[in-house]
Amino acid sequence: MLNWPFNLEGKRRRLLNKAPAGPLRDYLEQPFPDRNSCISDAALLAMDFETSGLDTKKDHLLSVGHVELQHNRILLDTAHHQIIRSTRDISGGNVGIHHITHDRTALGQALPQVVESILQQLRGKVLLAHHAAVEIGFLQQACTNIYGMAPVIPAIDTMQLARQRLERRQQPCKPNQLRLFNLRKQYGLPAYQAHNALMDAIATAELFLAQLAHGNYRKPPPLKYFLLRP
Amino acid sequence: MEIELQEIRDFIAAIPPFDRLPENVLDILTSALSIQYVRRGGNIPIEKDSAPTLHILRQGAIALYSGKDNLMGMLGEGDVCTSFCAAEVMPDFYVKATEDTLLYSIPCDKLSRLVEDDQSVLHFIRHSAAQRLKEAVSNMQEQSSSNLLHTYAGDICRGELITATPDTSIQDGARLMTEHGVSSLILMQDNDPVGLITDRDIRQRCVATGLGVDTPMAEIMTGNIISLGASESLFDALLLMTHKQVHHLPVFDDSGLKGIITTTDIMRQEGLSTVHLTGTIRKAESLQALIEASKMLPRIQLQLTTMGADLRHVGYAVTAVTGAITRRLIELAEADLGTAPVPWAWIAAGSQARREQTCHSDQDNGLIISDKMQPGDDAWFASMAKYVNDGLNACGYIYCPGDIMASNPKWRQPATVWQGYFEQWIEQPEPMALMLSSIFFDLRVIHGKEKLLNRIRENILRKAPKNQLFLAHMTRNSLTHRPPLGFFRDFVLVHDGQHDDTLDLKHSGLVPIIDMARIYSLAEGLKEISTEDRLRAAAGTPSLSKGGSANLLDAFEFISNLRLEHQATQIREGESPDNFMSPKQLSKLEREHLKDAFKVVQTMQATLEMRYQTDRI
Repeated sequence: MLNWPFNLEGKRRRLLNKAPAGPLRDYLEQPFPDRNSCISDAALLAMDFETSGLDTKKDHLLSVGHVELQHNRILLDTAHHQIIRSTRDISGGNVGIHHITHDRTALGQALPQVVESILQQLRGKVLLAHHAAVEIGFLQQACTNIYGMAPVIPAIDTMQLARQRLERRQQPCKPNQLRLFNLRKQYGLPAYQAHNALMDAIATAELFLAQLAHGNYRKPPPLKYFLLRP
Repeated sequence: MEIELQEIRDFIAAIPPFDRLPENVLDILTSALSIQYVRRGGNIPIEKDSAPTLHILRQGAIALYSGKDNLMGMLGEGDVCTSFCAAEVMPDFYVKATEDTLLYSIPCDKLSRLVEDDQSVLHFIRHSAAQRLKEAVSNMQEQSSSNLLHTYAGDICRGELITATPDTSIQDGARLMTEHGVSSLILMQDNDPVGLITDRDIRQRCVATGLGVDTPMAEIMTGNIISLGASESLFDALLLMTHKQVHHLPVFDDSGLKGIITTTDIMRQEGLSTVHLTGTIRKAESLQALIEASKMLPRIQLQLTTMGADLRHVGYAVTAVTGAITRRLIELAEADLGTAPVPWAWIAAGSQARREQTCHSDQDNGLIISDKMQPGDDAWFASMAKYVNDGLNACGYIYCPGDIMASNPKWRQPATVWQGYFEQWIEQPEPMALMLSSIFFDLRVIHGKEKLLNRIRENILRKAPKNQLFLAHMTRNSLTHRPPLGFFRDFVLVHDGQHDDTLDLKHSGLVPIIDMARIYSLAEGLKEISTEDRLRAAAGTPSLSKGGSANLLDAFEFISNLRLEHQATQIREGESPDNFMSPKQLSKLEREHLKDAFKVVQTMQATLEMRYQTDRI
């Protein structure tokens, strides 16, 4: 289990051999960033999904936002937001939260195009998300539905980094303490009013920069320190 | 730009100068930003050798330093840091985050291309707050159209210079003056001017006294000539005439005597009446006459302001009139009460001492009485003080709300008692006592024996610099008045029910600068009294850097000019002038300059606060 991140590269190569030609194969063809390279040299893609629920099989994607991080800077010229067209009914309370209505989802792009675009953006980069299991889970489920197989996705999870920090200090974790909003407050980051996938992706990226700045590293740490462990 | 970034765009759009940009440019600008996080104590820029970049503080605070510990400025949320916009930053310059800070950054070349149609934004990028303020001040000076300020003494004393020797008879002198149609003669001995004769001298000192007309003019000439440099403005000439009560001023340049200017010359330039007003006051025979004369003050202030005079000129003129009224009141009291039993000095404190009065000032004064004073002597001084304080109040100088007036026995004391007051304030400072009495660290004798104050002053200037605790208390008191700047560089407006939605230009802008100047001068033992003189004299001392002095002078000039203009408007509309100005009266650009001025004050207060560690007392 512990050596899961060590095998990312190997797993990528194994999957590449089986992948059908097209966006998924293109994604897998590009080597992942070197796990020993400095974190600030690695290309990161902060991403957030808005979904109709948390079950990757039953629920579906409503919108996606992402933005690139390079050399410890969030580059707003790479910011992208996309609403996903859905043929299914939207049920549950999430619609209210994310202000995405039937009319707007009808205007969005079809899921296969969106996934293709995400895979293209993600090539050679590390995914950065808060509670990354949602983004990885939904992306892998969508790929399975579209291409018949799920890719391997190297990722950094800001929620996991926060939990590890608490564990190292042997501090108990209070309820809600690991939520994006509360963690940002702790680092003196502004409370954004808007809750769309793009602003949440940016909020996550800012949180990561803060975590990095407060890490007390003597020298620039390598990427492997941060990669998500399952 | 993705519409989802609107929250970031809205943040940028609220910050000058970006608030001037059209929406489409703002959209592109927002997309061009990168976001960086700097931990408290971290350096900015994070990477060395970055290209010129402009930073906007989204959250947190940063401090700008030049050399070790020399704090030059502090920026907070919503502030724009232009320090790294130049290709070459000053060698000793560095910036540190004083809180965890989130920066929105944009390379300057990209920004310049984006805003190339908007000169004011480009200008903003290239200039620091202090520089912008300096330019605003000089623009203001250019706009003012005063002839007096921009006409130099050397330019108007043209024509033939009429001179004679001191041994010329009065009759020959008078004939010479008549021939040339002049009202004065300069008397020269071996190419040096030794005296001045005017029409009036001949009338008063010769004809009226029955002195023979063949007497040499040396007998009646004014030997101690008050003169002016050719490069000084007519305003300076006017001030000198008002102050010294003369109507003729010889003008000199490097090569020697150049000519004479008279009040008539100046009146010809501008219809002005300060000199005549002080003349009227000197001759006033009753309180009623003084009240009438004092009603001229608002008009004089208005006239001076309209002509583009700054606080130095207006303050000097108004203070000269106040001094004349005070002296005349004392003379009228003496006429009634008889001569004082022992010597005394009538002292003015506060703005009158600093010569920074405007026409609605209240009175702050006291009496230093000779130590020879006997127990029964105070009755005379009490009556005199009451007469003068009442008289000043009737003339529009309202009673001091803090009862700092000579009629209050506490401020009508022998020199030794005064000496003791100051020693106690300096050596055992108490915050409340100092707050009330700091006004007495600006003192000037208006009438009476200068010597009585001089000894006290010397003592203050000797003791104050050595007493850090006293200076720390003075500093802490001064920090009760802070510039009205809030988050996002917004003004914090007054809400007292009477002056809602205004800025108190005096207490939140001028008073902090006046207080700081007082502290610098006390810390350095400087004898200067006016704020501008103090800031100039303290420049380059351990208390105040040259740059800090220049910035404060600019801020002081800018805010006081705004106040004068505000009051001029009120006087013109028949209202009584005050210090409460609505930001709506200001143009957008003026608002920004005012914020820059407040920022300068804020920075200098922070420096002073650090120096005296006021949080520890």
